[in-house]
Amino acid sequence: MPFDTGRPEMTAEEFRLLRDFVYAYCGILVRDDMKYVMERRLWPRLEALGLTDFSTYYRYLRFDAQRRSELETAVEALTTHETYFFREPRQLKAFSEEVLPVLERRNARSRRLRIWSAGCSSGEEAYTVAMLLLESGRFEGWELEVHGTDISRRVLNAARLGEYGPSALRSTSADKLARYFVHVGPNRVRVRDDVRAMVSFGHHNLRDVDSVPLASRVDAVFCRNVLIYFDAPARQRVLRLLYDKLVPGGYLMLGHSENLINLSADFELVHLRGDLVYRRPEMGGGGGT
Amino acid sequence: MSEEGRNAEEVRYRALLDLDVSRPEAREELVTGLHDESWRVRRAAAEGLVRLPERGAVVERLIAVLGERDETGARNAAAESLAGMGASAVQPLVHLLGHADPDLRKFAADILGQLALPEAEGALVAVLLEDGDLNVRVAAAEALGRVGGRGAAFALERVLSNPEPLLRLSALESLAALRHPPPLADVVPLLNNPLLKRSAYRVLGLIERTEVVALVCRGLAASESRSTREAALVALGQHSARMADGARPAMYAAVGEALRRLLGAVSWVTSALESGDIEVKTGALVAAAALREPRLAPLVAEVAQEERLVPEVMRTLACFGPETGRELLASMDRLSFPAREAAGQVLVDMVDESFVPELVQMLDWGEVDLKGVAARALGRTGALEAVEPLAGFLSNPELAGVAARALVALSAGFRAQVLQVLQTSLEQGAQPVVLNALVRVGGTAQLPLVRRIAREASVPLRATAVEVLAAVDPSGGLELARVALVDEAPRVRAAAVRVLGQVGDVSLAPLLQRALSDDALEVRLAALEAVGECGAVALAEDLEALVRHPDGAIAFRAVRSLARLGVLRDEVIQHAVAHEDHEVVKAALLAGAASGGGEALALGLLGHAHWDVRAAAARVLADSREERLLPPLMNALLSETDALARRALVDAVERLSGR
Ligand SMILES: C[S@@+](CC[C@H](N)C(=O)[O-])C[C@H]1O[C@@H](n2cnc3c(N)ncnc32)[C@H](O)[C@@H]1O
Repeated sequence: MPFDTGRPEMTAEEFRLLRDFVYAYCGILVRDDMKYVMERRLWPRLEALGLTDFSTYYRYLRFDAQRRSELETAVEALTTHETYFFREPRQLKAFSEEVLPVLERRNARSRRLRIWSAGCSSGEEAYTVAMLLLESGRFEGWELEVHGTDISRRVLNAARLGEYGPSALRSTSADKLARYFVHVGPNRVRVRDDVRAMVSFGHHNLRDVDSVPLASRVDAVFCRNVLIYFDAPARQRVLRLLYDKLVPGGYLMLGHSENLINLSADFELVHLRGDLVYRRPEMGGGGGT
Repeated sequence: MSEEGRNAEEVRYRALLDLDVSRPEAREELVTGLHDESWRVRRAAAEGLVRLPERGAVVERLIAVLGERDETGARNAAAESLAGMGASAVQPLVHLLGHADPDLRKFAADILGQLALPEAEGALVAVLLEDGDLNVRVAAAEALGRVGGRGAAFALERVLSNPEPLLRLSALESLAALRHPPPLADVVPLLNNPLLKRSAYRVLGLIERTEVVALVCRGLAASESRSTREAALVALGQHSARMADGARPAMYAAVGEALRRLLGAVSWVTSALESGDIEVKTGALVAAAALREPRLAPLVAEVAQEERLVPEVMRTLACFGPETGRELLASMDRLSFPAREAAGQVLVDMVDESFVPELVQMLDWGEVDLKGVAARALGRTGALEAVEPLAGFLSNPELAGVAARALVALSAGFRAQVLQVLQTSLEQGAQPVVLNALVRVGGTAQLPLVRRIAREASVPLRATAVEVLAAVDPSGGLELARVALVDEAPRVRAAAVRVLGQVGDVSLAPLLQRALSDDALEVRLAALEAVGECGAVALAEDLEALVRHPDGAIAFRAVRSLARLGVLRDEVIQHAVAHEDHEVVKAALLAGAASGGGEALALGLLGHAHWDVRAAAARVLADSREERLLPPLMNALLSETDALARRALVDAVERLSGR
């Protein structure tokens, strides 16, 4: 019966088994020095399932009838969903001032722009991009789409709801707050409907190369602070996927502490005035090598 | 670059990527690529060369490129390529260490450092101690920090007294990288040298001597320079990481005293907590624990963004007093996600009755994780006013578990009130966990309600009711389970099957046999387990057939149930150890060991493809206490590359040889 239990320690072997299993599922690498973090984050799951040790939990993940949903819950517990609006302003400024004009020219005929926020967490990044598109004033009458995906279903619910507290807004200026949000409680705001209408969300495991929920290619991908959880082979696979999903000449935005050194030479580094970004070269546009 | 130029570059780049490396001309084409104007092309060439057969010849060719004085790009690309060559590059590079041109000797040392192979240690030590060129010696010192070894460490210690500061600096850095503590007396004189003190303090942190804390405190109190203080912080963090919990209070006291002598200590620690340098941050946590200034608490929590530091963050916050609890609570909704997580855990341990109003407010806020923290904390307040607000979450799938557990905790003081809210919320469609909580708090008096729920409520509640009832009233539970076996919902049927296993007996075998072929996997899996649990030996044959099932979940349970029934035949074990799923193999191994046939099985599995099977086999052999098993274990140890399997093998060897 799922009653309270004590708090078991995780043995080195249990850690390895769980770590390898999670890695195989979603490419997230829990480093050796993170055993403590893993233990703490999975305790509540043991508690909820009434299990007394991590070996049993591992076998539950492998063999129980509910294994699929439990695995998702475990990954949920293990991933950090830290994010907020207007995160990494330098990059966003470069995107607005230098990338968007290029995209405007390139797509002037189709008047259509598609952007993917891969690993979008609770949606702040996707909405931020949508706000930047509006803010630029360049795309009046265009068909604009921002698509956010994440492996965690819980954060996707929050993303769709579009309601946020002070933590998410810690880097949002007062004028943006006034322009793009409405107050729904003393400490809560909701993203304005016209911004929300530009953004859609879906579930996707970046490991899963075959099931990207995007029908056609995108003009830019934001994949920030996601690759840090993967090891090199998994990163390479994800980058290959992003490459394939970008139009030739499309942009890849990584987190400020991330780069492609030793990972992929497929992308070219573009030196903008304000920041460095990556781009899929114009040539070789036939879906990669 | 022009559009045209870019396209041409792309063509050259793709050509190198697609190059057939088995062609004899490939090598020179790639060497030409090393000289390309574009770095992407050069990198592709460098990577291509690593893939070529005949490594020896390629290494020689690359070393020749290193000698092309005016070709900086090509030389660097060649160096990069050599660094990817592994062991085959070591000897030629060691040879290059003797070249007349210091430039090339430096290249060789740098690349050997990147290769980080112990074979280069001796040659690099010689260069460090004897080369006539300072730059080359510095490069050797840096390389030794990556190559490692005892010889390296001692040689680096020796140059700590060299008059050349640059050499001393790189020796200190390398000793730090090797985590090798030199003698304290060699380091103390360097603590005052502006160029060296940062590294010297870092190395000081490695030295396990009690005097270190006093030296570090002197550095902390040194008001003249921020960088000295930061370096001292780094040492402090390192020292603290090794320290036993019992020794901490004395360290905090000494550090606290040093910091109080420093003007503006709090604001200085504040900026150290926000530093980009993780080692400075680590030390700043210790300083914060020593200062115990509540204002620092939210910043300390923010350090949890660096996941490696989470344990230290928790330890630090726990040092602060109850005032910190309020500080954290008030800032909770502004903290980042990882900070909230850490702060939440500490907060739960700190609350008392006086926190209820704030926690109840927090239950109203939007974010689920904050609500979870508030619910857990409310359970710890021991206050009656916490009961009602928690009740509101019993029908929320994400929070019902925490809320129910919190209510169970509160029932110690307010049993009647807790029972009341649990009952009411069950009437209104609570989550299944609430049913557990109800019986836990209310005992058998709640059985009529449980029975009613088992008949009438939603699928999840019906399923839980069947199991809850059986746990409290076995015979009544069994009766209910028989009815539930024909419920239309698989979840309810599976719960019923579990009850049959837990409280039933062999007479139920026919029912379980039917469940073994239920349409729903969930029910079949439960039945597999139940057969073993209730001793239904008659179904052994059905289980044996399932041992070969490709789904590991089915095979695993079949093996375990057969073992539990005591009827796992050798032949079936053989099928099980051949199963693709390593958990099935381990289950068979353990079952075999319990029934006596384990040694032969374990010996065979010492070479299994999965590390955990090998480790399990080693443990089975260790338990046998048979000395004659030593030789095969030692053999296995020789070729074992996995760290955990190795550890199990070493343990086994030690146990069997009586060490
Ligand atoms: C730290 S957050 C970054 C959010 C946002 N991109 C930003 O920079 O603010 C990382 C997100 O990556 C998601 N993630 C991790 N592994 C993933 C995978 N294999 N597939 C998709 N998303 C994943 C996590 O669920 C989490 O929401």
